[in-house]
Amino acid sequence: MEGFVYALFIVVLVVNALMGIYGIVFRRSLVKKLISLTILSDTVFVAIILVGFVFKHPVVPPVYSGVEGEEKFLLEHASDPLPQALVLTGIVIGLAVNALIAFGIIQIYRLTGTTDAKKAIRVLVEEVMEE
Amino acid sequence: MKAVSKRVVVLLSLLAVVVSTALAVSLVARLEAPASIRDLGKYYIANTRRDTSSPEAVTAIVWDYRGLDTIYETLVLYMAIMGGLAISTIARKVALKTRVGLTSITRTGTRIITLLIATIAFSIALHGHLTPGGGFPGGSALAITAMLIIPVYTLQSLLDYGVTSTRLVATRGLALTGLGLVAILPVIRGLEAVTNLRFYPSHVAGMLISGSLWFYNFFEFLAVASGFAAVALYLSIPEELYREEIERG
Repeated sequence: MEGFVYALFIVVLVVNALMGIYGIVFRRSLVKKLISLTILSDTVFVAIILVGFVFKHPVVPPVYSGVEGEEKFLLEHASDPLPQALVLTGIVIGLAVNALIAFGIIQIYRLTGTTDAKKAIRVLVEEVMEE
Repeated sequence: MKAVSKRVVVLLSLLAVVVSTALAVSLVARLEAPASIRDLGKYYIANTRRDTSSPEAVTAIVWDYRGLDTIYETLVLYMAIMGGLAISTIARKVALKTRVGLTSITRTGTRIITLLIATIAFSIALHGHLTPGGGFPGGSALAITAMLIIPVYTLQSLLDYGVTSTRLVATRGLALTGLGLVAILPVIRGLEAVTNLRFYPSHVAGMLISGSLWFYNFFEFLAVASGFAAVALYLSIPEELYREEIERG
């Protein structure tokens, strides 16, 4: 049963990542591309968390609460703190980069009047040609 | 109607494919979930209290074991937000002067919820070295209040309170300066940058602050909260533009 849940988790993550890649490549709206990018990055974060996750019944965070003899229990049951710290860093970077991309999309919309990638490029190319 | 049923069929077939693939993988490949974490993770859990005096292993890694990485990561965050603000100032529209907002029920509810969110954000950030949480989650929670106030009370009312993007960016700069000072301060006693317990005390007035972790969390909290609130201010569309569009028909 635990093996099945683990496998289900991995398959769902792979399908999610494929959906994100599909959205980035085939959707023409820049906003939908950005949404797909966040789906893909969040999938990768969950995958990293899964690397350091232990499937043992009382799943606890790697935090001491001050009880005597807690260390042995935490070593067996707590999830790995290193992937969590890396994901924390990754989320911050991802959010900042997403904000930057969102600003870029707004700027493209202001300049060309559309968020469709192909139309926006056509408008920009026409403007360059006119100059 | 037909489009809806097609969508349901696609969803159900996707679900069937996922579940059957998982079943096949777990039965054929005999995939077992890992029963214990890696030795590196065990090292961090076993030694976090001795090395960093913090009972929270994740915060200990973020600000002590890998402290230098996090400092540079904050720098990347700073550069990305600065880049975004620089792009958006190229064609800045006039700020709106209307104060419409939503009904008084929503306003009162938002007032209470905003207070609660702010309180919880502070507790997440300032307790980051003891319990799950830290500067970044707390700062994001505080920035949520700005994102909540803008649709309910309008952008203009936030600006009237003195929460302007210029001030937010200034707060952000001050907080990042504090972060850098906390990191560099140990150098004056000949220690390397981002030193924790050999320079900072683990207790202040009988309270555990885990050395520099508390200061890092506090400054990161301020930096993240003001940075994302500034982003929210810049991204929100002035309500004046909506009004013009509606009047034009």
